[in-house]
Amino acid sequence: MSKYLLRRVLTMVPVLLGASFVCFLLLRLTPVDPAKAYLSVSNIIPTEETLRAVREQLGLDRPFWSQYVHWLWQLCQLDFGVSFFTKLPVASEVAARLPVTAMLAFSSLAIALIVSIPLGIAAALRKNRAMDHISRVLAFLGASVPQFWLAYLLIYFMAVKMDWFPLQGADTWIHYVLPSITLAFALIATYSRLLRRGLLECLEQPFVLYANARGLRSFTVIGRHVLRHAIRPVVTAAGMNLGKLFAGTVIVEQIFAMPGMGGFFLEAVFHRDYPVIQGYVLIMAFVFILGSLTADMIQAYLDPRLRQSMGKEG
Amino acid sequence: MGVIRNIQWIVGRQRVTTVIPVVLLLIIVLAGIFAPLLAPNDPNFVDLSHKLQGPSPQFPLGTDQLGRCLLSRLLYGTQVSLSLALLIVTACVSIGLVIGSLAGYTGGKVDGIIMRICDAILAIPSLILAISLIAIWGAGWKQMAIALIIVQSVYYTRFIRGMVVNLKQQTYVVAARIMGTSPVRMVTRHIIPNLLPSLFIVVTLEIGWVIMDISALSFLGLGVQAPTPEWGAMINEGKTFIRSHPRLIIAPGVIILCVVALLNIIGETLGDKNGKAIPMRKAAKHSNKLKGGQHEREGNHS
Amino acid sequence: MGRIRNRRMVSIILVLIISIVMAGCQSTNQASPDTTKESATTDKANTEKTLTISWPKDIGPLNPHQYTPNEFFAQGMYYEPLIGYGEGGKLVPKLAESWDISEDGKVYTFHLRKNVKFTDGSDFDANVVQKNFDTILANKDMHSWLGVISQIEKTKVIDANTFAVTLKNRYYPALQEFAVVRPLRFLGAAGFPDDGNTAESIKSPITTGPWVLSEYQKDKVAVFTRNDNYWGTKPKINKLIVKVIPDGEARVLALEKGDIDLIYGEGVISLDSFVALRDSGKFETSISDAVASRALIVNTAKGPFADLNVRLALQHAVNKTALVDGVTNGVEKVADTIISSNFPYANVGLKPYDYNVETAKSLLDAAGWKLPEGKDVREKDGKKLEIEMVYMGPDQVEQPMAAAIQSDLKQVGINLKLTGLERELRNKRMETADFDLLFWGTYGAPYDPHNFVSTNYEPGYGIFESQQGLSMKDELHQQMKDVLLTTDETERQKLYTSIFTTLHEQAVYLPISYLTNIAVYPNYVKDLKFPAHRDETPFDTLDIQK
Repeated sequence: MSKYLLRRVLTMVPVLLGASFVCFLLLRLTPVDPAKAYLSVSNIIPTEETLRAVREQLGLDRPFWSQYVHWLWQLCQLDFGVSFFTKLPVASEVAARLPVTAMLAFSSLAIALIVSIPLGIAAALRKNRAMDHISRVLAFLGASVPQFWLAYLLIYFMAVKMDWFPLQGADTWIHYVLPSITLAFALIATYSRLLRRGLLECLEQPFVLYANARGLRSFTVIGRHVLRHAIRPVVTAAGMNLGKLFAGTVIVEQIFAMPGMGGFFLEAVFHRDYPVIQGYVLIMAFVFILGSLTADMIQAYLDPRLRQSMGKEG
Repeated sequence: MGVIRNIQWIVGRQRVTTVIPVVLLLIIVLAGIFAPLLAPNDPNFVDLSHKLQGPSPQFPLGTDQLGRCLLSRLLYGTQVSLSLALLIVTACVSIGLVIGSLAGYTGGKVDGIIMRICDAILAIPSLILAISLIAIWGAGWKQMAIALIIVQSVYYTRFIRGMVVNLKQQTYVVAARIMGTSPVRMVTRHIIPNLLPSLFIVVTLEIGWVIMDISALSFLGLGVQAPTPEWGAMINEGKTFIRSHPRLIIAPGVIILCVVALLNIIGETLGDKNGKAIPMRKAAKHSNKLKGGQHEREGNHS
Repeated sequence: MGRIRNRRMVSIILVLIISIVMAGCQSTNQASPDTTKESATTDKANTEKTLTISWPKDIGPLNPHQYTPNEFFAQGMYYEPLIGYGEGGKLVPKLAESWDISEDGKVYTFHLRKNVKFTDGSDFDANVVQKNFDTILANKDMHSWLGVISQIEKTKVIDANTFAVTLKNRYYPALQEFAVVRPLRFLGAAGFPDDGNTAESIKSPITTGPWVLSEYQKDKVAVFTRNDNYWGTKPKINKLIVKVIPDGEARVLALEKGDIDLIYGEGVISLDSFVALRDSGKFETSISDAVASRALIVNTAKGPFADLNVRLALQHAVNKTALVDGVTNGVEKVADTIISSNFPYANVGLKPYDYNVETAKSLLDAAGWKLPEGKDVREKDGKKLEIEMVYMGPDQVEQPMAAAIQSDLKQVGINLKLTGLERELRNKRMETADFDLLFWGTYGAPYDPHNFVSTNYEPGYGIFESQQGLSMKDELHQQMKDVLLTTDETERQKLYTSIFTTLHEQAVYLPISYLTNIAVYPNYVKDLKFPAHRDETPFDTLDIQK
């Protein structure tokens, strides 16, 4: 098992390295001199001397590859540089905002799973009946509703009209309800349909037919045998989605004024705070890779055959 | 809400009826094309004495915070969103076809390098990468279009490469190769024509997602800039009026929802007709943000 | 990682020091009953007087010599200058009781206020003033935007309560600039880092001011307690809580729910919400005098605006009243001159241009831009009258104003192309004078009008470049340079009058509106008076009477 894990981790290294290069390249594509952007957010008038000083300070005067290697080396020490705008280390700035974003992402994932699993089961068991139609319409809506618009609909109906939820902020758990629903909506659509399809395929498998013939109640069959198989595409999708989910928080945090990483990133975009942009993009790539790795692990756990083969390997 | 009933109706009986959504979509497209004839007012004309008025014969959907006709802005917005989406998707398909078939057909080292580059880019969530690229170049519709093209064409490249690799093993292609057909001719005559049906379906779905991406980026103030009547930008402009005039936000959103939903329905029904022509896209279909994941998975298995 | 740990240590030390200081303050309070003798009842009421406000951002590290992420308002209310900026630009004594200027106008001698103590109990004297000036001058580049900093030749401690600053050249606005919020305010000696350089950080925010930071959670809340040993008029309230609420709508909601007692500042809530609160009848709303100007820079160096008649046509073609009322709901005030007449030297009696479409049309006709039959854009020599306006893309006010101006100009046959750019790209366009019209704002009080004139004559900002089409440009710019060197009041006023008149007559700016500070509060908040200084706050003068 550990060998398998190690191999999976190792395949991630070149991908992460590539992603870091893409991040680094970002800064080279800019029409605005990063040193000038730095001076501008620091309220310093750009002159020849100040520009030279800043270039030296930021290492912009060094050759391209030397800069990249230096940057990578700093990354390895978890040093993402210093924000142009706040003048604090990017790592600590992001770390301070991570809890809000993580909480938002995981509560969305939780809501999505809690709603989509029963929905998917119901849709599969009552194929082409009311429940199935409802889940299908939901799926279409989930795929077609712009996230930011859904957020405003929720704000309008749930917070402004009904006053059930606070408009904005992230002080208590209740602040997370509307943003999490916003993010979960598209996921519910995907997961419930994936689960439904998985279940329908499974229900036709011989072992299920056999279990049914043995007179096991369909509830037990579903719970114990079928779900285990049918949920696997959902696990993969959830793992793959983690990066995307974090990305979705950019828009949602902005709308609900939550002090998370996404909002911080967006602010950095408008300030041209390059170290923050680079650091955030890199962290997102890491989250994405971590997500797919975790999904693989769970996948392996759920599939006894895979587990066994790994056991032999390890 | 009629649209939703339609969705239920079409999807509800597994019978494929493409006619109704196609007709509805056509109506919207035509409304966009003929916006200059249909729009009751100039979409950009500001008359502050008319601001935030309710529906009236002169302004059928009322006016916005600057006294501009909401209906006219929505109509012209159709032009903006659809033409931008078409431009982006066309560019992506072209890039994807060239690089994807190059990688898939040549194989070997070239394929390896191209795929590794794709992997690196795919590791970054597409919206984040698009925002970062716009951050570097500055907000604006051109920069947004380029950013989206760069980000999206990676998916096309992988998709097309996968299909080319498959087709290459088909007997007729192998036969043609043995007969000494040149690679370029092979790709253009035998492979691309065979890709087109599935590509068409993907493009139908993709236009919907691109429209959503355009509106999301414009909403964030990074894409199409006000006062151009783009739907996302309109929602952004109207957001401070959510308490007093929610219609400024609701109306543009409903249009986005309709267009994207119609495109999704058409894409889905076309997909069903073609059997499992695009199996790996299926799961992704329901979430606009799942695209990378699906390709990533495919990539790992190949 | 080392860096992060250091930060944490710093903040722990900071908290420790603050709590010790607080404990010290409280004990001195109890030990000296004389101060609380005056009136037992008011004192009792005072203990309950807490004002809760909100701010869009964290107050920052309260470093008086640094910029972002420090918030102007927090530095402004926390630290004190040598000289204060009063109503109409009148200079009032703060930490300096009085000051003399030498005959040649180069040496400024400040007589410091005696018996002023920092919150850690140390004395405010010339040595600590010197220590502050040292670090500020050591980081000259950071502060070079402020004219007086680059003019300072040397500083000198004359005795414990006398401090002299020598300038390289005569520079009349030096005194005004001693009133700005940053960097010329004073930190107690114990607050300095060991190397004495405050550019990176400070140890603790030790001040002479009316407030002491007593509790601080980054991005959440900051609590200020009244400094009971304050040398001046003590605030009437004894606790000020600043909650960080980034979003305007959330701020409105917090006020409605009673979570905060005051919304104050520039652009802190949407203009729509301001009107909604005003019309609800539940809150008092007030708007300050003009604190800065919003205007369009007209590029005389190229294109149609090289012609005075076209510039004048622009002045008559824009319906400012509709524009300003419509977009800002009356929160901003219509501007007729580039610098509002409540600013020093700016009340020179210029005649405003009226909104008159017919005048505008005939001026354009006179300039040779004729409207061809059946078309709606004017032409001259086969060229269309097209103009580009650059504005800040995401700005919630510039953007709708730009759209409205576009429609106004359409009425007179000018095709206005709008280019909304984010800050850096807009700045680039401004610096290279690559625009026909550009949305711009003045620094406002206390920086204007002297700062305004220096941005006009100094190359590099894009304004000087945009005035190259003026025939009298050399004379104008010379007057601008001269006025900053004048020591004689009448001479100074004369020069200013001439400068403002030329700018107005040549129509090189289209003044649009004057920015204001707004305040919204329930009726138990009393005596709210707007400071004349754009970045200062009314918290130390207002009262709460429930």
